[in-house]
Amino acid sequence: MTEPIEIVVVGAGPGGLSAALAAAQAGARVALVDNNRQPGGQYFRQPAREFRGAASPHQRQGADLWQRVQAAGVHWWAETTAWGAAETRVLTLAGNHAPSSIQPPAIILATGTYERTVAFPGWTLPGVMTAGAAQTLLKEQHLLPGKKILLVGTGPLQLVLAAELVRAGAHVVAVLEGAPIFQKGAAHLGSLWGQWERVVEGASSWLTLASHAVPYRTSWGIVAANGNRQVAGATIARLDAAWQPVAGSEEQIACDTICLGYGFIPFTALAQLLGAQMTWQPELGGDVPTRDANLQTSAPGVYAVGDGAGIGGAALAQVEGEIAGIAAAAQLGHHADTAAQKIQALLPRLTRERQFQKMYAALFTPGAGLDTLARDETILCRCEEITQADVRRAIALGANSAGEVKSITRGGMGDCQGRMCSHLLAHAIARETQQTLAQVGRVRPRPPLFPTPIPVLGQVQAARAEESLR
Amino acid sequence: MNTQRKVNAPVVIIGGGIVGCATAYYLAQAGVQATLLEKSVLGNEASGRNGGGVRQQCRDRRERALAMASVKLWVALRTKLGFDIEYNQGGNIRMATTEQRMDDLRRESEEELQDGLAVEMWDRETLRRRAPYLGEVFIGGKYCATDGTANPLLAPRALGWAAKRLGATIMPRTEALHVQVQAGHVTAVIAKDPTGELVIETPRVIHAGGPWTPQLAQTLGVTVPIVPTRSVVAVTQRLPHLFDEFISSHDLGVYARQAREGHVHVGGAGAEHDDTFDQTTPLGTIEKIARGAAGMIPALRHVNFLRTWAGTIENTPDKVAIMDTVDGIGGYIIAAGFSGHGFCLGPIAGKLLTEWLVEGEASMPLEQFRLTRFQK
Ligand SMILES: Cc1cc2nc3c(=O)[nH]c(=O)nc-3n(C[C@H](O)[C@H](O)[C@H](O)COP(=O)(O)OP(=O)(O)OC[C@H]3O[C@@H](n4cnc5c(N)ncnc54)[C@H](O)[C@@H]3O)c2cc1C
Ligand SMILES: Cc1cc2nc3c(=O)[nH]c(=O)nc-3n(C[C@H](O)[C@H](O)[C@H](O)COP(=O)(O)OP(=O)(O)OC[C@H]3O[C@@H](n4cnc5c(N)ncnc54)[C@H](O)[C@@H]3O)c2cc1C
Repeated sequence: MTEPIEIVVVGAGPGGLSAALAAAQAGARVALVDNNRQPGGQYFRQPAREFRGAASPHQRQGADLWQRVQAAGVHWWAETTAWGAAETRVLTLAGNHAPSSIQPPAIILATGTYERTVAFPGWTLPGVMTAGAAQTLLKEQHLLPGKKILLVGTGPLQLVLAAELVRAGAHVVAVLEGAPIFQKGAAHLGSLWGQWERVVEGASSWLTLASHAVPYRTSWGIVAANGNRQVAGATIARLDAAWQPVAGSEEQIACDTICLGYGFIPFTALAQLLGAQMTWQPELGGDVPTRDANLQTSAPGVYAVGDGAGIGGAALAQVEGEIAGIAAAAQLGHHADTAAQKIQALLPRLTRERQFQKMYAALFTPGAGLDTLARDETILCRCEEITQADVRRAIALGANSAGEVKSITRGGMGDCQGRMCSHLLAHAIARETQQTLAQVGRVRPRPPLFPTPIPVLGQVQAARAEESLR
Repeated sequence: MNTQRKVNAPVVIIGGGIVGCATAYYLAQAGVQATLLEKSVLGNEASGRNGGGVRQQCRDRRERALAMASVKLWVALRTKLGFDIEYNQGGNIRMATTEQRMDDLRRESEEELQDGLAVEMWDRETLRRRAPYLGEVFIGGKYCATDGTANPLLAPRALGWAAKRLGATIMPRTEALHVQVQAGHVTAVIAKDPTGELVIETPRVIHAGGPWTPQLAQTLGVTVPIVPTRSVVAVTQRLPHLFDEFISSHDLGVYARQAREGHVHVGGAGAEHDDTFDQTTPLGTIEKIARGAAGMIPALRHVNFLRTWAGTIENTPDKVAIMDTVDGIGGYIIAAGFSGHGFCLGPIAGKLLTEWLVEGEASMPLEQFRLTRFQK
């Protein structure tokens, strides 16, 4: 590499690809980092080559975008993890195709999300998995997660997974949608369905489910997974408007697998380490960085786009990526004169997607009842096996913040780095201490953000020794 | 607006680190119900972020007797707090990579044996045999069998909880803003909590504010020479049991212990980022700790670090603590500046301060810890 990189884009999903393309087309020297071998992120991810069936429209769209990114001369740093960052706009990287640390003039974060877990009695039994895990089994290993599968959660993605499972030969015993969508959103549904159909195999999912007579119930959710060493069934119940199970409505349903599709949580740890101010927005998935009109965070030169800055879907991620790419390049002097105009032209698309985002959030943001399913003996932190009773004991000793409960119980200190459990712990503390989540506070992310081999950490460039990691 | 709330207390302790918590605990045991003010939460600073070493060997001679007395208290605390603080007398090895370091350790061992601390010099073979997990670079070391480790996340807090059970008042999220002095004697502490200001009338203040001590002391015209220093720890994933000892090497610049749950904590010995309250973890330090870890314990070359964090050490010019009164400010006691050794010393500091307040005299001489030694 002769010329230094000007913009590092982290994440090669729809948001990151669009950002890298826009910035490179404006003339900036861009590097695109992703921990996967293949670009595409959650949405465009290429299926394994031997996967039967033709590429879907969005996969073709992704392949096309990827071609243009390559043609624009973007440096592709595949299989590279950004494991740390500092307020001095430093990123530390682990991977064979990239330097071990870099301090570019601008960074665009497009890091996407992780799946939201829900704690209820039995959720740690083998046979309970996230919808994403089921999808990965199906798409990458061509394995069915089970024989009799129950889907619980919210949002249209559940239907897509259900249809995929049915087509692959699974028996889907039911799909439970937590949101009261038919009562609440008849007005919204038309446009929502239109949007969704545009991007996934929406309508055909419906048809598949209908033709296999898969029950689809709204305002229903899971209360418990039952079984001794493996899921043998589930207790389900009707939910009230706050997603609280209605007493007396419980039913038993036989199944060997339960897929949880309760949505996503933005992955914001890098933004926090880079010094970006955060704001609590439940309808966007939780804590998200504050941003200006150019999608720059409060940390100068650090931009955030896509689901990682607030759940909003692939199309929003793309338009946000374009805006941030143009703005970051302009900030470095590339086509600064025309940037405002180009961004202006994107605003109608941005507005439309944000409207969709609002509507989606209005329909599918889980109610508070979802966080009340755990019992004393229910595990909240799987890695360290910390139960709700452990949390309660810490509170009885005087703890009332996320940080203190973590210190006393070890909850959130395991290999998942809190991605599976910190929201479960925070909700439990808030409920037990009658505080808001904001009062409970967040646990500071600590580098390395992912378990990282000691020899890799021993090779951070010494030249940057003064740089600090939060 | 809020009118100032008024309460009173026989003693106010400023600071909820291990020194403040231990003092509250021993005072409460002696029947004195202190009020402890902590600007964040108990044990949130160095006391809860440290390496967990409870060590007597390799100390300044002035501190040695204190450390030995503190270990006796630690042994008792193991069963007395009603909470498992994971105290374990697994021994302490200070390793050497050079003959010169071996000579230094040998000289130190003679002094330690004279002072009644049982230590052993280990040659290369003994080290291999007793600590086979250590790297080839070490040519020997010094071992103290009665040294050990405890869990810093739990020990200071458990002392605070026990004090509270015995009647002490613990006030988290309450910052002492000012110590009021009238006619040459302490009369009150002005503090601030999330709901506003409050006045705690008291004739006695123990100022155990760690590295933040100088700022508040200065408002009384007292200069306390403590410099904040950043120190970093990294922790591995949970591993099968590897070792019991607290191990350290100044040559590699690292120390380590394996926590009960199996995680190995590796810290950077010899802090280089002086005079900062910054608690971000410097990249260069992570690198140094990672290299030191791999050199010290070769098995860690195949292991991940999960997390790093930094804490603020409180160094005095001679790296020995201050426990002293101040002429002209009756009732004001400073107990701070433990210079990176205070986790081990916390219990004995609390015990001696209690004796001083309750009986008028501590059972061990405190002349060595006078503030005035820096004023010459
Ligand atoms: C099964 C499924 C179906 C979907 N269907 C639709 C749909 O029909 N319509 C719709 O609008 N949306 C859909 N979505 C949602 C859509 O995928 C996301 O909204 C979209 O992918 C968000 O794009 P993004 O660029 O923000 O993040 P992502 O696509 O999530 O990409 C983020 C990338 O960053 C990488 N990354 C994160 N952190 C780091 C790091 N520190 N270092 C290196 N790399 C990192 C991740 O591995 C990932 O590759 C679907 C999602 C799923 C899972
Ligand atoms: C990384 C690291 C590793 C270490 N390793 C070891 C080790 O292995 N063994 C060992 O013995 N020691 C070790 N130490 C040192 C040890 O942790 C400290 O010496 C000891 O904790 C000091 O205790 P303290 O109570 O004096 O201070 P602190 O723990 O700093 O506590 C002082 C408290 O006072 C509060 N405070 C200050 N001012 C005010 C105010 N005005 N109002 C209200 N509250 C106030 C602060 O918030 C803080 O909680 C280490 C330290 C660090 C950082």
